[in-house]
Amino acid sequence: MPATVEDRENLSLVRLEGAIDIASAAELKSVLVSVLASKKEIRLTLEGITELDITALQLLYAAERDASKAGFPFLLTGSVSNEISAAVTDAGLVKLLIQQ
Amino acid sequence: MSNANIIDKHRQAYQEEAREVLVELESSLLELNERPDDGELVGRVFRSMHTIKGSGAMFGFDEVASFTHHLETAFDEVREGRLTVTSKLVDLSLEAVDLIKRMLDEPDGASGAENTIADGILVRLRELTGITDNKLSETPPSSTPPQLSSKEGQIQDWMIRFAPGPDLMRNGTNPLLLLRELRQLGDARVTANMTAIPPLSELDPECCYVSWEIQLTTTECREAIRDVFMFVEDCCELTVDLIAVESPSPVELTTKAFEEQRRNPGRREHDKPDSASSIRVPAAKLDQFVNLVGELVTVQARLVEIAAGRDDPEVLEVSEEIERLTTALRENSMSIRMLPIRATFERFRRLVHDLARDLHKNVELTIEGADTELDKTVIDQLNDPLMHLIRNSMDHGIESPEARVAAGKPPTATIHLSARHSGANVLIGVTDDGRGIDADAVRARAVQNGLVAAEVQLTEAEVFSFILMPGFSTAKQVTDVSGRGVGMDVVNQRVEALRGRIDIASKFGSGTRVTLRLPLTMAIIDGLLVRVGQDFFVLPLANTLECIELTRQDIEKANGNHVAHIRGEMIPYIRLRDFFDIDTNRPEREQIMIAETEDGRYGFVVDEVLGDHQTVIKSLGRLYRQVQFVSGATILGNGTVALILDPHRLVQEVIRGSVRSPRGHPNSTAAASCGKEGLFSKSP
Repeated sequence: MPATVEDRENLSLVRLEGAIDIASAAELKSVLVSVLASKKEIRLTLEGITELDITALQLLYAAERDASKAGFPFLLTGSVSNEISAAVTDAGLVKLLIQQ
Repeated sequence: MSNANIIDKHRQAYQEEAREVLVELESSLLELNERPDDGELVGRVFRSMHTIKGSGAMFGFDEVASFTHHLETAFDEVREGRLTVTSKLVDLSLEAVDLIKRMLDEPDGASGAENTIADGILVRLRELTGITDNKLSETPPSSTPPQLSSKEGQIQDWMIRFAPGPDLMRNGTNPLLLLRELRQLGDARVTANMTAIPPLSELDPECCYVSWEIQLTTTECREAIRDVFMFVEDCCELTVDLIAVESPSPVELTTKAFEEQRRNPGRREHDKPDSASSIRVPAAKLDQFVNLVGELVTVQARLVEIAAGRDDPEVLEVSEEIERLTTALRENSMSIRMLPIRATFERFRRLVHDLARDLHKNVELTIEGADTELDKTVIDQLNDPLMHLIRNSMDHGIESPEARVAAGKPPTATIHLSARHSGANVLIGVTDDGRGIDADAVRARAVQNGLVAAEVQLTEAEVFSFILMPGFSTAKQVTDVSGRGVGMDVVNQRVEALRGRIDIASKFGSGTRVTLRLPLTMAIIDGLLVRVGQDFFVLPLANTLECIELTRQDIEKANGNHVAHIRGEMIPYIRLRDFFDIDTNRPEREQIMIAETEDGRYGFVVDEVLGDHQTVIKSLGRLYRQVQFVSGATILGNGTVALILDPHRLVQEVIRGSVRSPRGHPNSTAAASCGKEGLFSKSP
């Protein structure tokens, strides 16, 4: 799961690529923890992601909730592939995307 | 579907998927051997092992799961940085991969012999890694398939509460797939409960915190719903409660079913387009489908002919529409069978690795064009020929590291596998930078074997073609790997059976390149239908450049030479009437079809060009196997048979002068035996 984080003045841009599953969940967590620590608006693009499983979805959910509690926005951006859309629908987590 | 059937279906799916994962695992291990510090690769290896283990436990392959668990533990240590990757660890893991493959093939799980091998591998793994018995013997949880009983009934609403245990995902289960399976039973409204998800900092990324409530409207019974969770019941909380029963009268039920059918003709609930992005189809079904399309193409050709014979615009319109649809269907069906050659190529990494170790040579395998697509039937039959070629290369072509250094070459040799499209063909190359082939030695052996007279002049390509003959080997020493002279002729036979051919190019001292030229597809080609007298032939459209008229004046202008002057270019031609000794009068105006062959542009003179023709290739059988300029036959709409010609072979046969008229026509024989100049010099 290649991840790039671009730090701007008031903004962290996170780009993830490939399949994010249980094998890369720990890596995703550490990326999210480090961007949350910067206490800036976070924009995470879903565009390069080919696969998401529950571990990834719950990490994104937790990050979004933590950011919102701390008072800065956490936005999921970019177009979503059919696979991701199916995964989110099957998991009953469409609200995760809609809230954005 | 009975309990046993369901389990069998899942086991079969697991076996198929596990074999695919093993191919990937093998490839990753070989790459890891080259780059032992690559963390991404270690992750890939770990993930593959994790998948095999997790799903193995789910589907009752307990030996596979337990054995793989030990390997996974070792690679977990690597992932954590407590163990380094060595070539010994990679070799042992590859041995383990082989064993898992064999375990998967056993219908009733691993046999005693396999368990003994497994124990041996694990002992060596302990020695190599120093991981304690305790750690290695922590076996993964296995699941016990529950008893099933299922019957369909009335429409009911169910409330399913599914809370995965914390380790469910760690065991290789993906809850999304279970939810997806549940949706196939009926109308499901899934609500995720996220309240148990802790703050990010406290969250264990591999633990499942989400639970679900699913309201399912279905005609399936409780057992069928529980079946979805049959392999995970031990590690989750599951309740299935009936909340409402809709009991429609038989009339209502029929109406409802009718309404459903009307809304979704030919579609059932679980056929929703987004339920899966791809499906697995047995290859035999696909072959049957392509065969049927082939038959349809033949019948459609008949319809075109009938329509053309009647002055009925309506019939003509329908015929044209069916032609358009058939073409689309044909292209579609052929594209379904096209597969990238990657998997075949990647499989040879292991062969090269093992042979390099056994032969004490350093060899790197490079791959180019792995995404090139080929018909599945061609790919299926490519494995053995390519394996022979690589074995030959490793054994005879590539020198020992010392010899390479002495010859001024890098100690590590390269074998390059490549694939690319060229017109209607695919070129598969196996190139090495080894010692090359000694053309003089090959020639001397050919003379010694009586294959050619000592005084005959031969081109290098002709000399190398002896290598493809049965029993021909110049190897001084027979080894386990190759050198018995049974390899290359088998390769040649296989490639010819695929309507392909082999070219060998080599520079003594520098290396060898073997190119397999194969047709893209085995079943249907686009051709140009031509007539000579009462006989019909098909020439592949991909080779054809243009058709022009050939008049008697043109022939006279060329002083009777078989050469056409086309826009300043002199193009030699072959008159099919003479070649096949067709004994009818030559028309005043003939047609010459110009085709691109590997020996340049050539013309093929026919009486009439009838137009393009989708050609279903039928094999001609054993009797005609030696007739290489005919690649097959096709049945025309009116039931007559047309031979499909291979322009390149035809030209080659004529140039080599080895062709004899099928009916012994004296002119063809005499002309052919004179070679190219002889044939093309005078018109009969």
